[in-house]
Amino acid sequence: MNADILADFLSGSHETSTYARYAAVANVLESSTPEQTGLPVLKVALLRNFTAEPLVPVLAGEIFRAGYHPRFYVGDFDAIQADVLDPNSRLYAFQPDFIILAQWLEALSPALTTAFISTSPPDRAAEEERIRLHVRTIVGALNANVRAPILLNNFPLPTQPTLGILDSQSTGYQTHTILRLNAAILADSAETSDVSIVDFMRVFAAHGTANFVDERYWHVARAPLSQKALVPIGTEYVKFIRALRGQAKKCLVLDCDNTLWGGVVGEDGLAGIQLGPTYPGSCFVALQREILNLHDRGVILALCSKNNEADVLEVLRDHPDSVLKEEHFAARQINWDDKVTNLRRIAEELNIGLDSLVFVDDNPFEATFVREQLPDVAVIALPPKAFASYRSLLTAPGYFDTLSYTAEDRRKNAMYGENRRRKALESTALSLDAYLSSLDLEVDIGNPSEVDVPRVAQLTQKTNQFNLSTVRNTEGDIRAFMAADAFDVFALKVRDRVADLGLVGVAIVAYDGPTATIESFLMSCRAIGRGAEDAFLAVVVRHAAEVRGSEVIVGTYAATNKNELVRDFYLRHGFVRIDESRDDRWSLTTTGGHGPNVPAWIRVTNGVDTHAIR
Amino acid sequence: MPSGNDTKLKQTLAQVLGVPESGIGDETSMDTVPQWDSLKHLNLVLAIEEQFGVSLTEEQSFEILSYPLAKAVLAEHGIDFAA
Repeated sequence: MNADILADFLSGSHETSTYARYAAVANVLESSTPEQTGLPVLKVALLRNFTAEPLVPVLAGEIFRAGYHPRFYVGDFDAIQADVLDPNSRLYAFQPDFIILAQWLEALSPALTTAFISTSPPDRAAEEERIRLHVRTIVGALNANVRAPILLNNFPLPTQPTLGILDSQSTGYQTHTILRLNAAILADSAETSDVSIVDFMRVFAAHGTANFVDERYWHVARAPLSQKALVPIGTEYVKFIRALRGQAKKCLVLDCDNTLWGGVVGEDGLAGIQLGPTYPGSCFVALQREILNLHDRGVILALCSKNNEADVLEVLRDHPDSVLKEEHFAARQINWDDKVTNLRRIAEELNIGLDSLVFVDDNPFEATFVREQLPDVAVIALPPKAFASYRSLLTAPGYFDTLSYTAEDRRKNAMYGENRRRKALESTALSLDAYLSSLDLEVDIGNPSEVDVPRVAQLTQKTNQFNLSTVRNTEGDIRAFMAADAFDVFALKVRDRVADLGLVGVAIVAYDGPTATIESFLMSCRAIGRGAEDAFLAVVVRHAAEVRGSEVIVGTYAATNKNELVRDFYLRHGFVRIDESRDDRWSLTTTGGHGPNVPAWIRVTNGVDTHAIR
Repeated sequence: MPSGNDTKLKQTLAQVLGVPESGIGDETSMDTVPQWDSLKHLNLVLAIEEQFGVSLTEEQSFEILSYPLAKAVLAEHGIDFAA
């Protein structure tokens, strides 16, 4: 294995990697084993009706960058149906973790592309319906045979419709026919578990369809994607893999001077900084507006600035054009300490890993320092003086991309504010017990309802620290567990005097004879430290013993580099090691009412579960 | 002394085909390198276009069947391989 090629690749980004370098990395990965790279395998099936192989090196490189050893199955050219409809196909034998379903409309439907004008309106409508059914059939067959997220592209719009300017004047013509077809495919996929639309329309528009399509290789090799398209499209696919594997960043940490506003507030004063309706202040207003959008989407904001705190707070409180206000920031380190120390403090205060942070700074020294000292932190280095580019530099990498947007996301930042208030309460309470009692904690534990499913799946995908087994589940997985008799899915909802935290914990239990195995047990970090996790385990164990009649409860712990926090979770709750030398499997005998207890300060209410639990 | 373009071409062939750069020479062709199949060929053409900033004609994309032929095609685009 040529480790230098891999290390060299990781030190750059998708913007600095050439296609030739991706090809080299893909070759190294293909000829090496996961044992050699030390990475878990991630298997991707690429089903296509065009020559999509040039994408494979980019997919391989970006999947490697995401921390996996890629393996590919590339379906035969234009043989999607044969692969998906035959349960014994090589596709299913491959057992993919992700399925890329890549279809090019010109290869699928001449009637809607090259022969649009020669096709009668009724035939066009029939063709629209045929393509929609074709996609639905493939997706249905995949869902019936394999549980893996499907990444399905929509169709880019034509750049040279036969009717030219007239084409856009009627919804019956080509552009709107394809828009309608894309909308129909979206509507179908929104109703189907585990299908995500990869928006070729948007990606092609962002870079220019003319740059993305290469007629030469379409004719020569049925390979329509141009060389320029390969990295953006390959990277776009891997954004979905990252999101579904729980790699979305959680917190945006911002420098202040020359990042949130132009100038240095400590020198220029409140009235002297650049922040307002005209250039260059307008660039910073635009950036702040985008940061607020991220906040409202559920991204946690924090400040990390070498400044006098009072100067920064004066801007946030009193500057009329500051979109961002003090209350938008869940944590702040405004002092003269180095930024590496401050970033560590922020991660600790917010109870999140350093690899959940994105750090933004205009100072090349700070950006480089953080990159070198904290390789887990994603760094956006704003080029000095190029203010107008700041907004798009923030959003382009897609660091915060997820595939769900829940009520909890919208409320999350309010909750961090509440956590600060709770901490204030904590410091005045006489003892921890007295403090916890003063919170009036209530937990609600039961089977999730249909509306809870996206949040349950999201928690399995995002939770890293308080996660015993770190098994990632899709919404489809969760529904399957809920429907199966041999499984229970439990959702933990927590509220206290200060706030309603919402759905913060998930447990999945498998029953087999006298044994109940806790396959997943996890809780969002922001609920840690109040005993809710203890109550959750107590109720899950009691349910297994009293309702399901389980005599032995088995708990599994799979060590990752994030979940040290819960290494002794089962030990602390009376479980014993099944194999004395290992920490990965634990058991508890429930006979005689033996089991963990609900802490005295927590009230368990239960409106969801059909089974009675005290 | 090999020219810079010569080194770049050998490097590109090595990267895309997954073979050592030192093994690339006049005898390197689709017939002698087992990894050089029709799909790798397309990746190679795309990488050569990227590395040399050229746009090949369809004919030329077929003609790059060996290291010497790649040099010949690139020379038609004004890429200098003289030492």
